[in-house]
Amino acid sequence: MTALTGGVREFVLAFADDEHLMGQQHTEWIGIAPFLEEDLAFSSIGQDELGHAAALYAIVLGGGDSDEPVDDRQLDALAFDPDPLRWRSANLTEIRTDDWAHALVRHWLYDTAEQLRWELVADSSLPALAGAAARAEREEWFHRRHADGLLDVLLPAPDAGERLRAALADLLPVAVGLFDPVAGEVEAVAAGVTAAPFDTRMPEWIDRVRSRFDTDLPLSTRSPAGRTTRSDAFGPLLSRMREVLDLDPAATW
Amino acid sequence: MGRSWSSMDDFESFLDDGGIVEVDDEMPDAYRNAVFAFIEMHANSELMGGLTERDWIPRTPGLRHKMAVLAKTQDEIGHGHLLYMVAADMGLKTRREMLEDLFAGQSKFHNVFHYRAATWGDQVAISFLVDAAALASQQAVFKNCSYGPYRRILKRIISEEGFHMRMGEERMMLIAEGTDFQRAMFQQSLDNWWWPALQLFGPDSKPDDVLLRWHIKSERNEVLRARWVQKFAPLLISYGFTIPDPGLVHDAEADTWTAGPIDWEPLKRTLAMGGPDSARRIGEAAANWADTHWVREAMDTAPERSAGAPA
Repeated sequence: MTALTGGVREFVLAFADDEHLMGQQHTEWIGIAPFLEEDLAFSSIGQDELGHAAALYAIVLGGGDSDEPVDDRQLDALAFDPDPLRWRSANLTEIRTDDWAHALVRHWLYDTAEQLRWELVADSSLPALAGAAARAEREEWFHRRHADGLLDVLLPAPDAGERLRAALADLLPVAVGLFDPVAGEVEAVAAGVTAAPFDTRMPEWIDRVRSRFDTDLPLSTRSPAGRTTRSDAFGPLLSRMREVLDLDPAATW
Repeated sequence: MGRSWSSMDDFESFLDDGGIVEVDDEMPDAYRNAVFAFIEMHANSELMGGLTERDWIPRTPGLRHKMAVLAKTQDEIGHGHLLYMVAADMGLKTRREMLEDLFAGQSKFHNVFHYRAATWGDQVAISFLVDAAALASQQAVFKNCSYGPYRRILKRIISEEGFHMRMGEERMMLIAEGTDFQRAMFQQSLDNWWWPALQLFGPDSKPDDVLLRWHIKSERNEVLRARWVQKFAPLLISYGFTIPDPGLVHDAEADTWTAGPIDWEPLKRTLAMGGPDSARRIGEAAANWADTHWVREAMDTAPERSAGAPA
């Protein structure tokens, strides 16, 4: 197995972190969504995102193109790294919410961006990444249909529509950070790992957001941090994810 | 319209001959009420079990492990989803009425889900001990269940619960072979959950138990309970754990394990919604249900908005 290095590693790692934390956020909704079908749907989507994260972390570790699988300890050492400086997640994926309007709007914003992101790596020079893109897109189609189906019904309802638009106003300034260039993206583009910088697809995402929510909210407040800073929500999130792991570093669970 | 019977004797002869009742049959009210209450409690328990487990899912120690645990709890909620539909089809309450009764503390769910999963060890103990107890009960219902829609759903539930129990066993074995900390944690979980899991089977079946007479249950509570002790006491002891039952007796000659006297007061308290975590469990479920009312209201009124929309 040959682990990725340099900018290509940073690029794939950021994608893996986003998928991991988005899946993590979806796990919070099982059993408390508005109705049972939504408990099941958020669980399925969460499993898919965690699965994408596992595939991407495996690629980072060099297991993507190898018959030798990446074992769970290797994978988890990367996926649950206690050092915040290692992480490249978008702040949108770090926020915990107990409001279902925020959860649904984030689900739509993230998955709409995710489609564009997978498209950019569909013909990646890393065959494992191209393969992951093909598998992911089959699942992501259902994710988008799920979010759109709900929004089709809920946005026209007065109270629900108001809650969802308020959630959108809260989340949009953070969501645009999904497109912040990851350190190393230039190298990844040069190596053919991705077809173009992610932010070249941002205008298309903005068009979809405006069309979906019929909004003219400003969409230009991007962070220049390049994915190197964590939100205030990150510390508690990582502690929660590591709670059992930190009980006994020698343990295998 | 389905079949009808001229009398209860006629209906019970049908059941005794292995007859299967279907939803559109004109079943006696007493049978309908008893079967409905049994399925409603099963559905409630699947949902409340999911709520007991959900506290720990985001803290699962491992990425692929978390996917498996999430899928497991999704199965449990999915069982509830299926069972509520089977129960609702019996025409006594809608699914929403059943859920609202549950969140108001007005309908029952299994005793074990009136306890809190306080540690990761508890999470594993639930998946191993409690799921095994529930599985044994469900298998005994499936074996000879006279209500067709329930029997068909149970086939799927039992299949999935078998996976859950094996997942719990695998995790228990990792802990058993793990560090001193892990073993101490699981011993504490065993101390906490052994008796509630055993009490899940209920007190000895009464001679006039209609669920036995009407072929919903096929085995007596005490038989299932004894079988569970016979399986799990030696297994856990073989892994070096201690069963928290000073009255546990091992007959070496017959190689049988028998539980000591059982205190049924904790079970009675859970039936009265007075278990250690009943108030929090129901209160949080009710609050979450209330917080998302706007979604259900919007869904309910969607047809009206659609009808009023321009063509």
